[in-house]
Amino acid sequence: MSDSTLVTTDDVDKALVFKPKDARPAPPSTVGVIGWMRNNLFSNVSNTLLTIVGAYIVYTFFSAVLNWAVFNAVWEAESRRECLDLVGRSGACWPGVAAWMENLIYGLYPKHQVWRINLGFLALIAWVIPLWLPRVKSKVAIGISAVLIYPFLASYFFMGGNKGLVWTLLIALGVTGFAWVWLTTLTEMRYGLPFTRFMAGMLGASGKPQEVQVKYGRFSMLFVFVIALVLVTQWELQEVQTRQWGGLFLTLVISGIGITFSLPAGIVLALGRRSNMPLIRILSTTFIELFRSVPLITILFMFNTMLPLFLPVGVEVNQLLRAIVAVCLFAAAYMAEVIRGGLQAIPKGQYEAADAMGLGYWQSTTLIIMPQALKIMIPTIVGNFIGLFKDTTLVSIIGLFDLLSMSRAVGEDSRWLGLFIEPFFFVTMIYFVFCFLMSQYSINLERKLAAGNQR
Amino acid sequence: MAISESTAIRSQSRLSSFLNNETVRSVFYQIVTLVCVVGLFWYLVTNTIENMSVRGMSAGLDFLNVSAGFGISFTLIPYREGDSYFRVFQVGIANTLLVAVIGIVFATAIGLFMGLARMSSNWLIRTIARWYVEVLRNTPLLLQIIAWYFGVFTLLPRPRDSLDWGGLFFLNNRGAYFPAPVPEAGFGVTLAALAIAIGGAIGLRYWARKRQEATGKHFPAISVGLATIVLLPLLVFMLSGRPLTWDMPGLQGFNFTGGLNVPPALGALVIALSIYTSCFIAEIVRSGIQSVSGGQTEAARALGVKPSWTMRLIILPQALRVIIPPLISQYLNLTKNSSLAIAIGFPDLVSVWMNTSLNQSGRAIPIVAMTMAFYCIVSLTVSFAMNQYNKRILLKER
Repeated sequence: MSDSTLVTTDDVDKALVFKPKDARPAPPSTVGVIGWMRNNLFSNVSNTLLTIVGAYIVYTFFSAVLNWAVFNAVWEAESRRECLDLVGRSGACWPGVAAWMENLIYGLYPKHQVWRINLGFLALIAWVIPLWLPRVKSKVAIGISAVLIYPFLASYFFMGGNKGLVWTLLIALGVTGFAWVWLTTLTEMRYGLPFTRFMAGMLGASGKPQEVQVKYGRFSMLFVFVIALVLVTQWELQEVQTRQWGGLFLTLVISGIGITFSLPAGIVLALGRRSNMPLIRILSTTFIELFRSVPLITILFMFNTMLPLFLPVGVEVNQLLRAIVAVCLFAAAYMAEVIRGGLQAIPKGQYEAADAMGLGYWQSTTLIIMPQALKIMIPTIVGNFIGLFKDTTLVSIIGLFDLLSMSRAVGEDSRWLGLFIEPFFFVTMIYFVFCFLMSQYSINLERKLAAGNQR
Repeated sequence: MAISESTAIRSQSRLSSFLNNETVRSVFYQIVTLVCVVGLFWYLVTNTIENMSVRGMSAGLDFLNVSAGFGISFTLIPYREGDSYFRVFQVGIANTLLVAVIGIVFATAIGLFMGLARMSSNWLIRTIARWYVEVLRNTPLLLQIIAWYFGVFTLLPRPRDSLDWGGLFFLNNRGAYFPAPVPEAGFGVTLAALAIAIGGAIGLRYWARKRQEATGKHFPAISVGLATIVLLPLLVFMLSGRPLTWDMPGLQGFNFTGGLNVPPALGALVIALSIYTSCFIAEIVRSGIQSVSGGQTEAARALGVKPSWTMRLIILPQALRVIIPPLISQYLNLTKNSSLAIAIGFPDLVSVWMNTSLNQSGRAIPIVAMTMAFYCIVSLTVSFAMNQYNKRILLKER
């Protein structure tokens, strides 16, 4: 017995080396394409049956849609009659959609003025591009400026017409904002300094105290503003009435305003609902519950019929503005509940810790509570934005020419009489792409922001 | 000199401590808010009164008894053209509730099915269900309703060439036609038997639970109860001489008569609403079931619970806690979304009341107020019941 435990000199000489056998290859049926199919499609009899049923559904659906939309479709025709003569109802009649394309996107906006809409949206894209660029530090300021200052610029692009003194100043502010965003982006990417500090340095104030530098920075911004003002006064755009707005453009304008308004208003309402002051709590709760418990269409109708009654005699409110007010208030009430959900999810310890640090109400809210609440609610907030974007179709019921009404109008055109499915198909695609991209972006963002929690 | 200075400082500090006092500030802010809100309301009300007097409008409710004088294409409760505005209001409510109830039933069924399909172990089924949900919930409901109406229902064949299933169901561009049951004398006995059977089944379940808690013996109350509910009325129905006939739809001239007619607008509305809502329900069901951790299944297996019972006794009760609140809010959404009926001309509350009646009578304020009151009452009742339920099922943590 003791022999077996004894270490003999022989064993010591040839050192014990553990040599594992080579792993056997995995069975061919569990790896690769075949293995995957076996596991996920044909693991047992019922699964195989389901696969066959599923494949049949997929085949029927795609063959029907592709045959209709691509293979049997008519791509060139003068009228719907011609399409029907060629393929009947078995194929789509795309020329109708193509003929109406400009109206679907820009509504009844004058054809030779359409570049203004394009330029306006390009300006927005250019405004927010720096948010995704590396080494740009003033991202918060750029984002806020896009929300607060860009609308002045856009409104003049879209509306045009006579600008009074105040509006001239505001448009100049918009131009200045745009210039500031890109100047700052460039200087920060190149020199790591915001534009104002960079200019202070250029003007020879780099060694001077902080206040002097700030003064130089302000001075350079004032200079930019004056240049913008001069430009703006020389700038004349023909007036386009909001009645002529329509199509995808109108949908984006209404949902854009709704989205930008609803977030801050929702935050205020949510804070109001959780406030310690009974009056403010009651008012916020009443507003939220009232607007959430009725359908959007009733609110649109209400504002459409009652807003002219609410305002002094003789004040005319155009229909677009009525719709926008209704959509904004509705969206704010929904957003408030989302934010409140986020606020409730913050552990009490966070509030107590903020109090213990000696932070006041506004400091603890803006620095501690709100960033966390907004972060955990990102998917829901974006979901709300998507809902709002879809809900803007309701303005077609009160007589605005949004994307949906435009697509309905195709079938009422005498040349394309009865052409409904094709424009609906096209518009559905547009809505789907917008909403799907938004939801995918929110998932992406959520993952990126949650990176801090994964250790 | 020194004394007066120190009192000045003290009074100043008293003033600042008064200004920084939390209660004082809160009262001050509330007064400011109150003044603003009251001012806004006063401004709106005076403007409205002035506007109404300029336009010769009235805000009274006296119009409710006036004859409305317009026809309604589809009514659940009897309505004639000469009936009063108040009757129109009732017709609208009945139609809205009808759409909501049918829509909720279908949406739940489709949503449950799709939610389970999304968790299927079969990749193809899972993917189909995923894209069903993604595509349909990322397109506007109004677009779907209009597409169903103009793209499907109005393109159906004329009554003469209508689609026919066994001479019982017909589908054409005037809607769908079903055989309608017509109860005869003595059918009440069958209904009474049904009521008794339902009562008996509930009592049986109660008794079975009591017995199981006391003795641990299990009694299959659900299957026995269901059998009672089906068999007892059937037996009574047969014994009482089948007092029920079917009113068959039939083509007469250019149109169908008889039977139960579902107009195209109702069909399009119900289909679009239930499909759209089913996407959200599918996601709710999936997240609810996935929220129950896998350890629960394993623990049940370790305790020797039968696999068929694990779902019913362990997983579902826990999943329902997560599923039910958002599910109910989806039901509310469906009810509110049924107001989109106006786009395809189905006479729901918003369409007949807030649109037609408002335009005819010009009584904007009472009509808007009554419509909103109806939706508010429905929502607030449901959310009150929901809160009670949530309190009851709240996780009891010790």
